[in-house]
Amino acid sequence: MTATTVPALTRPNRNPLAAVVARAGADGLVTAVLVPVGAVLAALLLGAVLIVSEGENPLAVYWEVVRGVLWEPRGLSNTATAATPLVLIGLGYAVAYRAKVFTIGGEGQYLVGAVASTAWVTAAGVRDLPGPVLVVTGIVVAVVAGALWSGLAGWLGVRFGASIVISSLMLVYVADALLQWAVRDGIRDPESFIPASRQIGDATLPTIPRLDTHLGFLLAVVLVPVVGVLVARHRGGYRIDALGFNRSALDANEVDSRRIVLLVMLVAGAFAGLAGFTETAGVNGRLGAEASVGFGWQAIIVALVGRLQPVGVLLAGLGLAGLTIGFEVSQRTYDLPSSLVGVITALIVVFVVVGDALAVRGREGR
Amino acid sequence: MDVLLQFSTLEAAIRLAIPVALAALGALVCERAGVLNLGLEGQMLAGALAGYAAAEATGSPWLGLLAGIVVGLLTGLVLSVLLVTLRANQVVTGIAFTLLAVSATTYVFQLQYSIGGVTPRVNRIGMWSLAVLVLVAVAVLWFVLERTRFGLTVTAVGEAPAAVDALGYRVDRLRWSALAICGGLAGLGGAALVCGPLGLFIEGVTGGRGWVALALVVFAGWRPFPAVAGALLFGLSDAVQLRLQGTATSIPYEVFLALPYVVTLVALVLRARSSRAPAALGVPYVRGAL
Repeated sequence: MTATTVPALTRPNRNPLAAVVARAGADGLVTAVLVPVGAVLAALLLGAVLIVSEGENPLAVYWEVVRGVLWEPRGLSNTATAATPLVLIGLGYAVAYRAKVFTIGGEGQYLVGAVASTAWVTAAGVRDLPGPVLVVTGIVVAVVAGALWSGLAGWLGVRFGASIVISSLMLVYVADALLQWAVRDGIRDPESFIPASRQIGDATLPTIPRLDTHLGFLLAVVLVPVVGVLVARHRGGYRIDALGFNRSALDANEVDSRRIVLLVMLVAGAFAGLAGFTETAGVNGRLGAEASVGFGWQAIIVALVGRLQPVGVLLAGLGLAGLTIGFEVSQRTYDLPSSLVGVITALIVVFVVVGDALAVRGREGR
Repeated sequence: MDVLLQFSTLEAAIRLAIPVALAALGALVCERAGVLNLGLEGQMLAGALAGYAAAEATGSPWLGLLAGIVVGLLTGLVLSVLLVTLRANQVVTGIAFTLLAVSATTYVFQLQYSIGGVTPRVNRIGMWSLAVLVLVAVAVLWFVLERTRFGLTVTAVGEAPAAVDALGYRVDRLRWSALAICGGLAGLGGAALVCGPLGLFIEGVTGGRGWVALALVVFAGWRPFPAVAGALLFGLSDAVQLRLQGTATSIPYEVFLALPYVVTLVALVLRARSSRAPAALGVPYVRGAL
């Protein structure tokens, strides 16, 4: 890459890859704001049609959703709690998707993280350690386990050329089987009638005063700027973006793209694994057979609607959690199927995809 | 492993292979035309629900299959608009579509059936009729893809769309047709799952079979008959899994639960490098762009 082909850098950075990234990421406002906001409005509009077809007043229902989050006791803290796994897994997806490495196996990495960390903090000899030690080591175990599970899909991809979309997804089913074995036999509480692990006891995440949610939420919020700085300022972050925009530019700079694929897969798995621990230690208190509740799928929506930006992921995660909590509240008053909120959130991501495609067409004029 | 050799296991293997085989054949057409359709799982699910609803309403599981095809075709049309006309990112669109299909089928199913309590079983089509259906489908598909002008053009569109365009064919129309065929077959696969020996729809009934089908297309090297063979491999591991779950072995039964997916993953890994994907797979065609 010679100096004549490099346009003015938007960032004072001498990394030659920065030019590639800056040029490709220059389409700003439309994709960052207009597309997601438009998608949310369009999805809510279609949702309103569905609500009308159920014989309810959509404005009243949506108002109840807002009221349920903002003014219902625990509305906001429930939203924060519900957002925690979505933001965590979403951050990991965002890093991977920036490199155009499309893993969809977060649900499996989440489960493996939950199983491994629960096994650790409830193991004989370990469970009597002091709480802070349990929490910290539990986090480490969850992060490593999730990263390895995801790294396996990544390795199969770079070593054998297996599609990471498919391999990461197949491993979700394997992870669920692992969970079923763990709670039935492997780490089962011998006192329990139903398949479940022991109570995690002192590994329980402390509650944040005033916010009334568990420590995991704080962790997720703190990790947002950390990831932001890493992807925006760090050499590795440039390489990740460069892999997404232009793989040959990386090759020209003698960066091994396979290592970056592996790296982002490890990162994605680490975040999902972490979410597995915070959810078990912060919310459920023990691991049961029903631990797979779909955070790994919803986080895909969070990452895409959040525009693969850490702050966007936080906002999208809070938004999706708010919708979920709000609709739960509104269902007390209005007779609506529980799956309606799932339809609306899935519509949001479909409209985001459509909006992106339209934006590209508009920009290129063809 | 004499369980492998029992006739009933083989029968179950064929039964379990049928929906995957149909979906894999659909995905194969699509990918030959250069379109990566990750919405396959969602299309199967939509076809399954449509098949169940139609069979339940009319009493005829064959009408269920027909409904599966029709709804599958419609989903193919939706995906055509997104993937071919709007040139949306194929990976993200497919995933988003599947997420929507999972929620939407759950929603419709909750509205229609859950409130009334127990969901009725529908009349079922015998396994052998469905097996014949698959054989006909694979034979016709092979003939169309390898021996007709349309099939060869579809394959060419997946390899060199610009060349096909230069020859005066409409790339977008060819890809629409491929997506329509794919949708119809995926919907039929979903309906065959429900109107076949199962006779029942439950939420997420396809259980990842659409993704399995996508892996099998790679395993089969984008060829119809090997795709059906791959589906049989999946069906066999699924059948072994179901049979061994009931028997007392020293191996935890969860190992068998994971078996079909592990087998699929291994099949994918073993063949990923050696089988050559269509050159333009996953790349939207823009005239004049290189």
